[in-house]
Amino acid sequence: MIRFLDISNHTLFWYYLASNLAYLTMLIVAIKTSAAHQRRLESYRLRWIGQTPLTPPITIIAPAHNEESSIRVAVRNLLENHYPQLEVVVVNDGSEDRTLQALTEEFRLRPVRAVYVPEAKSALVRGLYRSDVDARLVVVDKEPGGSKADAVNAGLNAATSPYVCVVDADSILEHDALLRIMVPVLEDPKRVVAVGGIIRVLNGSEIAEGRMKRVRLPRKSIEVIQVIEYLRAFLIGREAWAQGNMLLIISGAFGLFRTDLVRAVGGYRPRAIGEDFDLVARLHRHLLEQGADYRILFVPDPMCWTEVPSDLKSLGRQRARWQKGLLDVLWPNRDMLFKWRYGRIGSLALPYMWLFELFAPVIEIGGIVTIVLAACLGALSREFFVQFLLFGYAFATMISIGSVLQEEITYKRYNDWQDVVRLVTYCFLEHFPYRQVHMIWRLQGLWQYLHGDNVWRPLKRKGLESASVR
Amino acid sequence: MASIFEKLWRLGPAAFVLKAIFAAVVANGLLLAFILLRRAYRKWYFAKRDVRVFELRKSWDALISGEIPFETWRRKAFDRGIVETIVLDAFEAAGPEESARLLKFLRTSGLIEKRIFEARQLKGWRRMRALVALGRTRAPEGIPALAEGLRDPALETRLAALRGLGRTASPQAAEEILAWLGERGLTVPPLPLQSALVQCCVERPQLLIPHVQNATGHLREVLGRVLGDVATPSLGSDLLQFVGDDLDELRAAAARAMSQSTSGFAQDVLNELARDPVWFVRLRAIVSLGKLSQRRAIPALLRGLTDSNRLVRLRAAEALVGLKTEMVPIFEQVVAAQDRYGLHAYLAALENADLRVQLEIELQASTRVNEEDKKRLQNVLQAGSLLAEEPATVGGNIKSPAGQG
Repeated sequence: MIRFLDISNHTLFWYYLASNLAYLTMLIVAIKTSAAHQRRLESYRLRWIGQTPLTPPITIIAPAHNEESSIRVAVRNLLENHYPQLEVVVVNDGSEDRTLQALTEEFRLRPVRAVYVPEAKSALVRGLYRSDVDARLVVVDKEPGGSKADAVNAGLNAATSPYVCVVDADSILEHDALLRIMVPVLEDPKRVVAVGGIIRVLNGSEIAEGRMKRVRLPRKSIEVIQVIEYLRAFLIGREAWAQGNMLLIISGAFGLFRTDLVRAVGGYRPRAIGEDFDLVARLHRHLLEQGADYRILFVPDPMCWTEVPSDLKSLGRQRARWQKGLLDVLWPNRDMLFKWRYGRIGSLALPYMWLFELFAPVIEIGGIVTIVLAACLGALSREFFVQFLLFGYAFATMISIGSVLQEEITYKRYNDWQDVVRLVTYCFLEHFPYRQVHMIWRLQGLWQYLHGDNVWRPLKRKGLESASVR
Repeated sequence: MASIFEKLWRLGPAAFVLKAIFAAVVANGLLLAFILLRRAYRKWYFAKRDVRVFELRKSWDALISGEIPFETWRRKAFDRGIVETIVLDAFEAAGPEESARLLKFLRTSGLIEKRIFEARQLKGWRRMRALVALGRTRAPEGIPALAEGLRDPALETRLAALRGLGRTASPQAAEEILAWLGERGLTVPPLPLQSALVQCCVERPQLLIPHVQNATGHLREVLGRVLGDVATPSLGSDLLQFVGDDLDELRAAAARAMSQSTSGFAQDVLNELARDPVWFVRLRAIVSLGKLSQRRAIPALLRGLTDSNRLVRLRAAEALVGLKTEMVPIFEQVVAAQDRYGLHAYLAALENADLRVQLEIELQASTRVNEEDKKRLQNVLQAGSLLAEEPATVGGNIKSPAGQG
């Protein structure tokens, strides 16, 4: 038994070391890439991109379900994007409130016979509308499909541009976000098939009329911790993975895709729990199986601001869902693991996801159990244990501060001193007890999925209106 | 020699962890110090800069006109940077008169000379920055230095030079770009190149013809697309040589360029290209036929309406809707074609152009259609579907492909 615990604790140590080293490598790659990206932007004038006739059209797809209170502001914000050839397709996904009426009143919608070719699966479409106020706006009214993927598919079927940008209707896109996200596409239109943008936390910021007025940190601790998580995930994780063309997740709240390719893979999988991750994984599979020379990239400066859960219950549900989504994608794609034809995705990105994302909560809980057992049996070096904790704490803090540093040296959206001090302070505080609770949520997600609870459920949000009041 | 793993193993986890803790704590301290010091420095720097910008803006006219001697600010790097930034930003929004004034200032103050010198002498990102600034001035004397930048080994620097040349929008810059392409081939992504060439060749598209003839591979495609964008009626017969080209892109470019041609053969050539086996060639031909907007194009456009490609159908429908004087006969023929995708595309285009009511009125008033056909056409227009068509589904998940209405 003692021998087993000893081996287990050693394994745990090496696991943490490997995980932290992987993150450290990503941090270094991300800082280097961001610096290069900043320098590259110096030679770009975004206005020039907007002025050239070669900038391809984009269709924004915004699924909306019961968004009556915020849909007007959100759609106005989308239509105000600075982009030369824009089409906005709002999908009313069987809302039970007055979402469609609100849109009809605000944008004077009239029924049209717009071309709708149902190439991607979605629930029954009741009607298509075009705005008399702004002809670029098309509204697809459909039966509830039970998932965001289903709604996006309906939008995809109505889209007429070569690129689609999928956004959440309750998110705020910065006005030059589309120009920025198109930069890599314009550089290499043949190879770049999808681009992810950065998602930032909206809570606490001041907005008016759908526009971001002032970026502030949220008040609640749980929201500030999520700010750090988002910075870490996007500015370190995605930036680094994209460098190796191994990006597996483009957030469902803001991502750009080549329309023909999304249609070629059958659109979003309606029953997928993590539809964004699922789509990108299928795109990689499709393109790798065809032996295509392609790139799926991440651009850190086109920003989309989204509301994050502000209470523990909602956050727990979201994280459980993310974990379910992870398993829901990794399991069907297990055949890609360590196969030559799937290149780096099969040999590096997916194994990393299995080992350090999917199994992480299981290994963590296993580690806690063996440490407790070892302590009870007197087989635990107390000195080593304390050192191990200190190391884990200091290292994880370093990664979090690193992500804040990334934000500081690149995009610097938190201008207030007070905000930065709070952000840095939370880098030290997030590890206990949030991390342990987070682990439990993730375990719950796995448990639920393994017990057949794998239905997509929307999260309850306050909506854009609430974000304007600090 | 022992491997790193053996060394780590011998070191033992405890000792290793102690060192790791120390390293992590030091790293945390350094990161925090860096963030705080950087913030403090930037706060001080921008406060100082804002004050100076305010002072310079207060005396801006005197500064631009030279009343304030240039030497008073040109020798100070801090002031020079501010003045240059303000001028270049002003350039972006300036009209022709203001642009001329700003350019004169840039010349007389020596700022352009300085940037030309830097673009030639510096390396790396400093050179790139100089090229970007030089390009933003749009000064013709910057063209040789920008052209030299095209030969830089770094891609970003080459792109900065290319964009700069594009900004000048002059045939001289086009000649430099084309000469460089002849010499080095395609060493930049195609889109910035296309964009720069489109801007520079607008005045003299003839410059492109010999290069398109001599280029090979991907470069030929790119040049062909540029030609399609900038072609003018004056190119007329020059374009004909590309109609039967082996390269799809070039045929598409010729189709696009034909929309600019006023000669009679353009219509025939486009009719031919509208039957091309490659969809985007057909698409370009249909779009061009739409632009020419002639009655003779109707048969080709109707054929486009039943094309296997969705985009071709959409553009053909838009082109047909654009022929407003022929609405009723066109609608008759659309219905007669018995192609429901074509009909839906046409009706969608009609509604997007808000012309459905007009068609109803014209149909009602038409004397050349008999009453029975009139009623049948009215029914199709109302129902949005062919009479023989199943009312239910397309692909099983939409009530009608035409939606509600």
